Amino acid sequence: MSDINVRAESVDVDQIMRQIRARIREKRGADYTEAELQQLATVKLEQFLDPKGLRSDLVQHFRRKVEESPAPPNYEFEADTVFETHRGPLRTIRNLFRPLLKLFVNIDRITTALHLQSRINSQAEHRLRQVEQREMLAYELLHNMTLEVTRLGIEVHNLRMRVESLSSRVDFDERRAKALEGVVQYRTPVVRQAPAAAGAGQPTLDGTASGEGADGDAGTGARRRRRRRRRRPGGTAADAQGQTWAERPGDSDEGGSDDGEAGGDERGADDTTDDRGPADQ
Amino acid sequence: MKIAIVVQRYGVDINGGAELHARYIAERLAKHATVEVLTTCARDYVTWRNELPPGEDTVNSVRVRRFPVAHPRSPDAFGRLSHLVFDTRHSVADELRWLDSEGPTSPDLVRYVRAQAGAFDFFVFFSYRYYHAWHGCRAVADKAILVPTAERDAALGVSIFGPVFRMARALMYNSPEERALIEHLSGRTGPGVVVGVGSAIPDHPQPSRFRRKFQARRPFAIYIGRIDENKGCPELFTYFTRYAAKRPHGLDLLLVGSNVIEIPAHPRIRHLGFLSDEDKFDALAAADVLIMPSQYESLSMVALEAWALGKPVLANGRCDVLKGQCLRSNAGLFYESFDEFDQALFHLEASGPIGAPLGRNGREFFRKHYSWPVIEQKYLDMFRRLAREPVPAVEPMPGFFARRARTLPPAADVVAAAPAGAVRS
Repeated sequence: MSDINVRAESVDVDQIMRQIRARIREKRGADYTEAELQQLATVKLEQFLDPKGLRSDLVQHFRRKVEESPAPPNYEFEADTVFETHRGPLRTIRNLFRPLLKLFVNIDRITTALHLQSRINSQAEHRLRQVEQREMLAYELLHNMTLEVTRLGIEVHNLRMRVESLSSRVDFDERRAKALEGVVQYRTPVVRQAPAAAGAGQPTLDGTASGEGADGDAGTGARRRRRRRRRRPGGTAADAQGQTWAERPGDSDEGGSDDGEAGGDERGADDTTDDRGPADQ
Repeated sequence: MKIAIVVQRYGVDINGGAELHARYIAERLAKHATVEVLTTCARDYVTWRNELPPGEDTVNSVRVRRFPVAHPRSPDAFGRLSHLVFDTRHSVADELRWLDSEGPTSPDLVRYVRAQAGAFDFFVFFSYRYYHAWHGCRAVADKAILVPTAERDAALGVSIFGPVFRMARALMYNSPEERALIEHLSGRTGPGVVVGVGSAIPDHPQPSRFRRKFQARRPFAIYIGRIDENKGCPELFTYFTRYAAKRPHGLDLLLVGSNVIEIPAHPRIRHLGFLSDEDKFDALAAADVLIMPSQYESLSMVALEAWALGKPVLANGRCDVLKGQCLRSNAGLFYESFDEFDQALFHLEASGPIGAPLGRNGREFFRKHYSWPVIEQKYLDMFRRLAREPVPAVEPMPGFFARRARTLPPAADVVAAAPAGAVRS
């Protein structure tokens, strides 16, 4: 992994910034731009966690606004309605003169028309109620569809992010596998053929000497431990090898994180080899 | 030689960037010429309310003449006209109404400038975007020197400023980026020089005195300035909070200046409020690094002060001027994302390998370009040069109908179309 190389006499800000960016690209694994990261962050905050986006109160909201409309004014009209009155003498006089009135006006036609209108009004009100109920149902249906579409949208986003996460993890694993393959190719002959030569410091991914090989006594002790593990029932040579790799602090940090570019990785690397660990303590 | 410095506000207690710049220049030029400051009675740059008495005054041995502002700024009208001019097609008449609403509208000041044109050799106008600079430059174009203090904002795309940039005898820029932008937008080809401004740097600031006084035991990065959204402080808080979580043994953040926005409660962020110059320079000397999160700067005086004291700067890389200064000085890093902020801040710690050499470069950059003898000499050279050169013609204003034709593009679009980027040399 590249580090910031500075010679005190010739500092070049442009070069330092290039090194910093290269380092960030290496650490991130998947090379998201800042805009893409922002977009992902926005999606997560606004659509996954924000309950307001779901509008689950749509029906209540609708009901508040669309209250049942008041019944339109109507009347009842029968044959005697025009002659009705609560005053008894007046009713008598009207009945008395009804034949005379019929002589001048066709009162039956008027009565029929008004009666018919009253029935039409009743039917219209009934239909209005039916329409209102249907509208309520339509909104309920719309609400359910909105909910379902939102849920599907979230699921699509979720899946998209999982795909991105998996692809970045695959990239990371590929790189890690390649790096580990390099170590295996280098180490295997050393372990099997020349145990005494294993004391020389081995270059790691980070460019530092591996702790195991740096000290002759420590190297011998480690080999003893591996032999003991091989002799142990159930313990294999591969397990022992894996244990040795896992002892490297950088590797253990990387293996422990699922997200690849999350803070855990960077902190682990920074505090051990790359970022002037002692200064950060 | 008699020089008039014309600026929107003036006084020892007025700390706006352009106003402080004007005061420093007036006080320094006073050693070489007779200097008179012409300004308004306003103290508040939002309302331009008349607060200081009109007439003559003396500030740090410099003669000051104040003129009343005819009407304070109406925020509603100014906001409406700003929208009209910045975001829609508009006319020259709209732009003039916008300028009038922006203020500080002081016709008395402009009348005095016109009447006294013969009494001064040159008029140095500060801040191109205000009423006094536009009308003043037109009134005495043959003697006008403009210090634009321009940032990359929509006002620079307002068309009425083009002729003023072209007809001023000389432009004293703060940075090569400002020069490139103004020359691109206005088509100016006349005399101009990148000058900037120096600062009153104490000879022996005492970091230990600051640490004792303010109980600052841990290493820290410092921000100096108004704690405001426009200065990029919310982003700074977000980034620093993440940095602090990631690096528990990293730097603290000290904030110096009055706060307009709320400061997050965090054990590693400390707000010290407004400090005296002595405390400010002590704090700067005690800091590992100065952070400049602002995206809109025409010249960061505090960055220059940090460099003068041998401190590196971490600047917002989206600000062309700051980025350009970092590149040219080789004395600061810049960031455009959290990762860059984190890595750059980590490497700028005083115990790291970069901080000290960058600080040395900064000190050298300041000495070479922003020390007072250099700046004074640039002004004096320009005065001498202009005295020799012929006076260019004044561009007339458009006619009655042309002034009212709504054919001008939105100013924001004009600026957005202009090339951006730091100038490296």
